[in-house]
Amino acid sequence: MEDTLFKILDYGVYGTAVLVILIGLYGALVKRSLLKIVIGLSIIDSGINLLLVAIGYLKGGTAPIFSPGYLDNPKIMVDPIPQALVLTAIVIGFGVTAVALALVIRLYRHHGTLHIDEIRNLKW
Amino acid sequence: MVGTPVLFVAIPLLAAFLIPLFGMIWKESVRVIPGIVLAYLLVLAINLMNYVMVNGPIVEVIAGWAPPLGINLVFSAFSGFLVTLMVFLGLIVWMYSYRFKRNVDFEPAKKYFLLLMMLITGSVGMVLTGDIFNLFVFIEITSISAYALTAFYTGRDSAEASFKYLMLGSLASAFLLIAIMIIYSQLGTLNMADIGSKMHLMKPAYKIMAIIFLFTALGIEAEIFPLNGWAPDAYAEAPGPVGAAFAGIVVKAAIYASIRIIYTLFDLSGAYDLLIVIGMITLIVAETAAIRQEKLKRMLAYSSIGQMGLVMVAFGMGTEEGVFAALFLMFNHAIIKSLLFLSGSYLVYNSKDKLIKEVNGIGKFLPITSFLFVLGSFAIVGLPPFAGFWSKLSVLTAAADSNMLLIIALVLIVSIIEVVYYMRVVNRIYFFKKDESVSTQRPTLNALIAMITLGAIVLIVGFYPDAVTGFLHRASADLMDKAGYINDVLTLN
Repeated sequence: MEDTLFKILDYGVYGTAVLVILIGLYGALVKRSLLKIVIGLSIIDSGINLLLVAIGYLKGGTAPIFSPGYLDNPKIMVDPIPQALVLTAIVIGFGVTAVALALVIRLYRHHGTLHIDEIRNLKW
Repeated sequence: MVGTPVLFVAIPLLAAFLIPLFGMIWKESVRVIPGIVLAYLLVLAINLMNYVMVNGPIVEVIAGWAPPLGINLVFSAFSGFLVTLMVFLGLIVWMYSYRFKRNVDFEPAKKYFLLLMMLITGSVGMVLTGDIFNLFVFIEITSISAYALTAFYTGRDSAEASFKYLMLGSLASAFLLIAIMIIYSQLGTLNMADIGSKMHLMKPAYKIMAIIFLFTALGIEAEIFPLNGWAPDAYAEAPGPVGAAFAGIVVKAAIYASIRIIYTLFDLSGAYDLLIVIGMITLIVAETAAIRQEKLKRMLAYSSIGQMGLVMVAFGMGTEEGVFAALFLMFNHAIIKSLLFLSGSYLVYNSKDKLIKEVNGIGKFLPITSFLFVLGSFAIVGLPPFAGFWSKLSVLTAAADSNMLLIIALVLIVSIIEVVYYMRVVNRIYFFKKDESVSTQRPTLNALIAMITLGAIVLIVGFYPDAVTGFLHRASADLMDKAGYINDVLTLN
């Protein structure tokens, strides 16, 4: 009974992460406002980060630290590498969002609108 | 050995951060420092390349953690050749843009050279790294500086082009991260050599998923159809030398990454046909689109996409000859397309729309620049005895040896299309009457030196192709030797 519950929970985490990614994709590809596109892109990033952390998670695992006062058993430690990857990915996502918002400001000053259909000097 | 591969990442990155600081003390230093750094890196690259040709690849371990745990950099005949090419083109682009606009302000120059150094750091890192997550980080460094460089001019529609690039680029990085995650969850390693040696353990379903995500992500960066919507606008709206840097440095790094993944990580011997099909579609669509372009730089951009398609076709043959042809094409394209972008941006220097019809009769007013542009056009369509002839010939012979006659036919037909749209421009440069309203801009001395250097290489490789083929043969043997690569990295202590 408990096992099935955990299994559902496991799939729940993965499912939520995929759902978040899909919501982000919807925002980035369907919405016509530049700001909403940027929000969509950063939601995709959040979904991927959630998925990455979920992969390294171990049921009942401990922090991966080898020092006195902690359990010295690598078998029950959660995987630290996905966490390190997520930290890097968060920083990179922040940088990309900042650049995107700077571009949105430039576009708004130039065109006076945030609607993507009205900013069509180049062929899309 | 005189240096280690890590300097190729560390020094330009350090220089990028020091440029604004030194700029506060001595304003001219923002222009001087990148040149010194790139010249030093070029000397280092040539030295290391000589070392590698004799003693085999250099595998450098970062921070003392041996692979597969730590990050490692691999300077082999293949990656070293591309690094040398990229650093050389970086130096050319620096020299060309030393005073691209007269009386340019301090602030724009500072930002420009800072971003250029970041771009080179990222691209060189993409080629050198032996760790797939590190590859992701370097792709992001490259892309973020590329977005900023695309939006460099405030007057044009550059922010629009840059935003388009950014949208596709962030999707690419998201897909790449998903692919890395799938590989890590299946194999528990991020080291490329380790992934390559354990690939047979991966379940086919996950393998296919990872390949699709990786290919989509790198296809966006490497301008592969149908993921190249950003390329023509980014090339057309970015400053001229940045177009050369994109064609010569960024796209080459992305192609390297996709080829390394296909050949070494996945060893997709059965799926090479996919590369041929995608490459062919890219080639045909891009070249037919190039004919319809009215703007000079957009035409060059589509031609660039087409060449990348041809490179993919050559890699898709899967034989050592095919890889050799692909590398030769990459080398020639980097040199010739940079020459075309650099000289072409002086041909349309003062015009607002950068239209092809504005180059009418400009040959009399800008004799050297026009001549170099024409030299580049002849070389890229593959007229003998210029450099482009030998690479196209090697594609055709490689295809003939693999009995792929359809490829030969298509490459020849596409070459005719190329001749049509390049000769149209050449015809306008020399045989049309000059439009009096168009004012010309004489190139600066630095720009002339940079362009003439590239032109000289086009001629030298055209007359003595042996000058580079030795390196290219070693590089293609190095790429095909998957077991050797894995062995070199994993047996390191």
